[in-house]
Amino acid sequence: MSELLMYLTNGIVIGVINAISAIGVSLIVGIMKVVNFAHGELYIFAGYFSYHLSVSLGVPPLLAMPLSIFLIFLIGIGMERTLIRPTYGDEMYSLIITFVLSIVLQNAALLIFGPYPQKPPNWVTGAMNIFGLYHYGNQRILSFFISIGVLLSIFYLIKRTWFGKSIRAISQDREMAALVGVDHLKVNMLAFGLGAALAGAAGVVLSPIFPVTPSGSSSVSLNAFIVVVLGGMGSLKGCVVGGLILGILENLGAAYISTMYRHIFGFIILILVLVFRPWGLFGQKTQ
Amino acid sequence: MLEVNGIDTFRGEAQILWNLTMKVERGEVVTVLGANGAGKTTLMESILGVHHPKKGSIHFLGEEIAFQPSFHIIKKGVSCVPEGRRIFKDMTVYENLEMGAYPQKARSFLRETVEWVYSLFPILETRKEQIAGTLSGGEQQMLSIGRALMSKPMLLLIDELSLGLSPKITKEIYATVRKLHKEGVTILLIEQNATLALRHSHRGYILETGRITLQGTSQEIMGNEHIRKAYLGM
Repeated sequence: MSELLMYLTNGIVIGVINAISAIGVSLIVGIMKVVNFAHGELYIFAGYFSYHLSVSLGVPPLLAMPLSIFLIFLIGIGMERTLIRPTYGDEMYSLIITFVLSIVLQNAALLIFGPYPQKPPNWVTGAMNIFGLYHYGNQRILSFFISIGVLLSIFYLIKRTWFGKSIRAISQDREMAALVGVDHLKVNMLAFGLGAALAGAAGVVLSPIFPVTPSGSSSVSLNAFIVVVLGGMGSLKGCVVGGLILGILENLGAAYISTMYRHIFGFIILILVLVFRPWGLFGQKTQ
Repeated sequence: MLEVNGIDTFRGEAQILWNLTMKVERGEVVTVLGANGAGKTTLMESILGVHHPKKGSIHFLGEEIAFQPSFHIIKKGVSCVPEGRRIFKDMTVYENLEMGAYPQKARSFLRETVEWVYSLFPILETRKEQIAGTLSGGEQQMLSIGRALMSKPMLLLIDELSLGLSPKITKEIYATVRKLHKEGVTILLIEQNATLALRHSHRGYILETGRITLQGTSQEIMGNEHIRKAYLGM
């Protein structure tokens, strides 16, 4: 029983982080109709940044985290300005560009950081007894609460601020958004940066638990895509629920079936959703 | 207030507007009439910076706007009710109105303008928390007008106000247009429904295959033999 609860808790912790990463993909798809295949690489870079900032440069881990996310945000903005902006209006070009970029960044990570898995130091040590049932690492508990904090801030940003409203307006009708005065190029750029930063946030939160390697990026991207499809395109709520479902299923599957098959559960979900409910759990059924 | 001077506008390869010249003076209500495909919407989109003309100039309050992006033109005091209403369907009625007040200047008097719009269209206040996509066609048109008013525009462009609305609701909305004009908003109406539009405007232009073929006061246009046959069905 306590074992099951622990796997469930693991699933929930991973699920929330999945959700953050997936919202990053979903935002960019929703606004710009760009699928960012380099999403996973940004996650990996964030993990390495926070490792090197804290281990090589001696920055305190909890400061290294926002710093790394900010760096990824800047990289995202740079990507949008130089590579993505010229492709607006042609979804095929941006698809190819981000795909190529993902390969380039993956190899860059290999060159810069080397092939070895790296793990930023834990922010906290020790474990806590949960309701007298099982012990759970403090690092994971803290990761969980930080992720919840990130999620709540994103929801606030999207639902309540002018920036968030302009994001929603653009994803519904880009031209009309410009006709009420939204500078859509600026919003695109910031939103792409935000999407990248969310990949980065997932990376820095999860890397102390699961070390990052350059080759780990594609499974991060795929996980995010699975969650977006499962939850439904353009739905924030869908990303959260989808992220939790994927996190829990993967962890239970890995525990009770086999760790070897960890990633296959995501694909099974993906195929089932595409066959039976292609618009996802919370997406809108359109043409 | 608005001067369009000899513009040629293309959509892709096809030239839609040919050497088009027209103007709207402050305080006027002007109608542009034309059949489907005459280039009415393209004219509106040229003014709004959605399509930039290849030739000619467009001045608003003396300033060249022909090659500026839409969001700059909106900030200068132009606003539009586009064809098909194009409200933000997944946002609430109130959020749609808020988006109308997106320009920095408009945000500061958001609360007053919302009250003003609610007084023009009381139904919007009762529906303010509703998702805009669930409104009826007439209510969506009111929301679209309300949203356009939220920036307190000096010039309001309205495309196909009556399209898809029942005669009763069309009449109500035109009554509001008249009220707006009394409050000092300059209005450019782009319409297929000639009778109603001319009755509510001072001057008119007839647009045929991208060229202005006739202009004059609304009375003159309504009196024109050709127009009576082609547009008014008399």
